[in-house]
Amino acid sequence: MKAKVLTLGALLLAIPLFVTLPLCAHHGGASLYDMSKELTVDATVTEFQWTNPHVEIGLDAKDDKGKVRHWIIEANSPPVMANRGWNRKSLQPGEIIKITFNPSQRGGSVGRFIKLIKADGKEMLRG
Amino acid sequence: MGKRLRSSFFSLMGISLLGMLGFVAGCSGSNAEKPASQGPDLSGIWLGKGIQSLSPSDPMGKKKPGTEGDIPYTPWAITRMKSERPATGPDQDFAKTTDPALRYADPDGYPRASIHPMRFKIVQTPDYVYQLWEYNKSWRQIALNRPHSEVPDISWFGESVGKWEGDTLVVDSVGFKDSTWLDPIGHPHTEDLHMIERIRRVDPETLVFNFTFDDPKAYTKPWDGQLTFKLKNDGIMTETIYTISDELSFRQRFLNEKPAIPIRPGP
Repeated sequence: MKAKVLTLGALLLAIPLFVTLPLCAHHGGASLYDMSKELTVDATVTEFQWTNPHVEIGLDAKDDKGKVRHWIIEANSPPVMANRGWNRKSLQPGEIIKITFNPSQRGGSVGRFIKLIKADGKEMLRG
Repeated sequence: MGKRLRSSFFSLMGISLLGMLGFVAGCSGSNAEKPASQGPDLSGIWLGKGIQSLSPSDPMGKKKPGTEGDIPYTPWAITRMKSERPATGPDQDFAKTTDPALRYADPDGYPRASIHPMRFKIVQTPDYVYQLWEYNKSWRQIALNRPHSEVPDISWFGESVGKWEGDTLVVDSVGFKDSTWLDPIGHPHTEDLHMIERIRRVDPETLVFNFTFDDPKAYTKPWDGQLTFKLKNDGIMTETIYTISDELSFRQRFLNEKPAIPIRPGP
């Protein structure tokens, strides 16, 4: 499945997050991710792991040069996400989504999930 | 003859009625021997917000240790906190954290078990109040209307006894293993920690735990913290268990950015 390009240059938004997002203590914090930045990409889901300690979303997204980049996005713990309406089948490989996350501090291909919009327009938030 | 039969019938009925009344009276006597009060109903499934620190002025743990202003640290406690590497707060270091619950998958202990933004269930009986956490499937019991053991064991969740004072369950706990942190930011304690909780259902949807921590080696005077929970009585209690194998897999993917290595490879 092809990921739709969404100019990565325009996607890199420096938006302070302050303290509005619910935190889960240990993983996915400022020592791993740049919490001052949000990245939004159109992407294809490659995997969805409903697992401990935190749920993982694998995806492919094209950069502004058309090159596909693989990302692994860290979401929250399964029970915390369940309280937001998620379950282990909430995403399927091959789904097209628009996803927003905090990118890695070190420039790697990992991120911290913030929200996504499915093809049918349904918005799903971090738990 | 018929008159005699009727007379015997009514005599038997009278004896039976007296017996039933005696039985009921006996039950009433039994009731009188039950604990004076079971207190208000705390049972149900409860969900907290998830905080990082028990400091009332800094629940998200954004201040450096010792600067909250509402926790009376001893020098020992400050030194201890500064020597640790929590995975949250201004000095967080997830990769090299010394948080025992993360590094070794140690039990959270109490009250940290209640700090996750996950559910717990309260089951209430005349003699015990139980807290059942979905995180790590752990549990704690509060024995009602009895004193502490002569020599309480040292344990992850401590030994707790409670009694009702009006609409408030007052819980006295001792015997905490000193390797646990009170909260994710790393507030320390010793085995001498004496914790008092005052648990009250302030309205049908809200349960409040007010804590007083008394631990002279760690804190120069008792200090207070609070946790608030909302009712989530939909019957759902999930399972989430923190394991070293899951954690190593997570770190391989998110810290090392490499495919997860099977922890238990097949033959």
